Amino acid sequence: MTCRTPAPRRLLRYTLVVGVLAALLAAAVVAALALGSVRIPPGQVIDILTGRADASPFRTIVLDVRLPRVLLGIVVGAGLAVIGTVLQALVRNQLADPFLLGVSSGASTGAVLVIVLGIGATLATTVTIPAAAFAGALLSLLLVYTLARGGGGLTTNRLVLAGVAVSYILSALTSLILVTSARADHLQEVLYWTLGGLGAARWDMLALPTVTLIAGTAVLLTLARPLDLLLVGEEGATVLGLDTARFRAAVFVLASLMTGALVAYSGAIGFVGLMVPHMARMAVGASHRALLPVVALGGAVFLVLADLAARTLAAPQDIPVGVLTALTGGPFFLWMLRRRPEGAPA
Amino acid sequence: MSRRTPALIAAAVLLPLALTACSTPEGDEPTGNKAAAKSDGFPYTVTNCGVTTTYKAPPKRVVTMNQHVTEIMLELGLTKSLVGTAYLDDKVLPKYAKDYASVPVIAKEYPSYEQVLATNPDFVYGGYSSAFTAGDGRGREAFKKAGIETRLNTESCAEADTPMETLYEEIREVGRTFGVTDRAEAWIKQAKADNAATAKKLKDLKALPVFVYDSGDKTAFTAGGKGIGNELITRAGGTNIFADLDKSFGDASWENVVARKPEAIVIYDYGATTVAQKKKRLLDDPALKDVPAIKNKRFAVMPLSDAVLGVRVPAAVEKLAAQLHPAATTS
Repeated sequence: MTCRTPAPRRLLRYTLVVGVLAALLAAAVVAALALGSVRIPPGQVIDILTGRADASPFRTIVLDVRLPRVLLGIVVGAGLAVIGTVLQALVRNQLADPFLLGVSSGASTGAVLVIVLGIGATLATTVTIPAAAFAGALLSLLLVYTLARGGGGLTTNRLVLAGVAVSYILSALTSLILVTSARADHLQEVLYWTLGGLGAARWDMLALPTVTLIAGTAVLLTLARPLDLLLVGEEGATVLGLDTARFRAAVFVLASLMTGALVAYSGAIGFVGLMVPHMARMAVGASHRALLPVVALGGAVFLVLADLAARTLAAPQDIPVGVLTALTGGPFFLWMLRRRPEGAPA
Repeated sequence: MSRRTPALIAAAVLLPLALTACSTPEGDEPTGNKAAAKSDGFPYTVTNCGVTTTYKAPPKRVVTMNQHVTEIMLELGLTKSLVGTAYLDDKVLPKYAKDYASVPVIAKEYPSYEQVLATNPDFVYGGYSSAFTAGDGRGREAFKKAGIETRLNTESCAEADTPMETLYEEIREVGRTFGVTDRAEAWIKQAKADNAATAKKLKDLKALPVFVYDSGDKTAFTAGGKGIGNELITRAGGTNIFADLDKSFGDASWENVVARKPEAIVIYDYGATTVAQKKKRLLDDPALKDVPAIKNKRFAVMPLSDAVLGVRVPAAVEKLAAQLHPAATTS
């Protein structure tokens, strides 16, 4: 089924979807560069972007504040959506999301430890905190994976339950570190990690997530066929010659690495990986080779727009974008839960 | 061809990202005064809360965040250097009101990083660590990268406690940074004289055990030993019963309040809950009925804006001393 060559009509539809998403992304980027807590006339934004403006605070704002932030939004949004898609295939459940599996709490605990202990304070925002968040995210995912795997196969239920348990333990640990910390103001810094935001984005933060996204997505595209096979079911996939256990483990580790690198600068932004893949499947079907690029584009559009809302709704205050994605994602999750017949596989 | 198309499209979409991500725009530092004349005391190098900065000349375009540092700038006669200010706790002292009114308020609370940049500053002075929240893009590192120097009020990074000397040091360093050493030293001299005068009045008195009530129901949110608040109480003839709490502010249990028998309670006044409401809450609490301060209804009130590291501290010591030891200070 999944290997069928697309008929011309399907190709047309696919091109249309990609075209619309690309146009949306372009529009979202323009809006995100033009709007913000400081009003900059559109003409000036264009001058700045085309290099015709002289050095000015506005130029700094557009090029060094908004542009890296938009780009980080694109990369993180695309990445989280791609990871969500893949995790959903791995556990054969459309309700899987990187953040249901303990990543966010792991990243926060790592970041909090560094913030509170004040390790490498001068390099904190660019090096130590992201590194700790990355390590925390990775450790928690591996912990969840190991716990879920012990004693029998890796079932969705076990994975989600292990994720919930690990999340609770890590959040409690984070709270403990926080309340006993001598500095009340740490709370502010830490909130950013637990809720997720793009406010700290700067040019020197883009390399790692961007490389991760491109390399990770490229690898996943080559794995599109085995990923499709997983959807057929455990026995089906095995019959068709896939070593499902090893394949799953490998892809899971890849997804964890990607997640860790992506959230290292942004903190945990939930539900992007839940909503976007679902809508993309409705648009272009479940075959991964076709799905992943659409998902990446959709995730980018979604997060850029969500972040634009996050920094304009209550300006000059930045609402952590993770709050907005959760506010839209939570109800979406419930809607999917209701729609899905009991016991149905994805 | 058809099966490969999506991947190609993906590559086409993602590739520009990779390229843009690597092209950092050339730095455009909003300084504007490269030809600044060499003046006395410069270059001046100072380490403030872990950040070392060398000033070749006094900063000329300053943004302040938080009331107490704004007041320090106004006290040092630096109004003309201010291009923006933000976040008052209550309002500036009457003697600064006119100067303050001439400075643009860029945000009611914290401004966004963009809003700070839009004023084209060369120096940002923050009162609390939250002024430089990296997550909101306002980290000190981020400012530095944009060519903007920063200073954080040193109470926010106190390692152990905050003695009066820290206040003098803050004023001295800000004075040197802006090349107004004389003004700073004059202020310090006066503050030392004021503090000595208060100390003289109190010298034969026994220190009064004091409990600071900031807020809180389940626990008492109070002043610990780390902040200037603790020093204020000591100098006003009290001893903070929670001086052993290793924070500027922290939670203490009500049973400890009872056990430590404070003779007086200092209520920090700020925000929506009035002093009367706080007093009533304390007086109505059956658990506290045996606390000496409650039995004798011995309360003192201090605006929270007095209890931070700023120019109000010497006067605040005097005012608190007058409340704690009325007999000794009236003469």
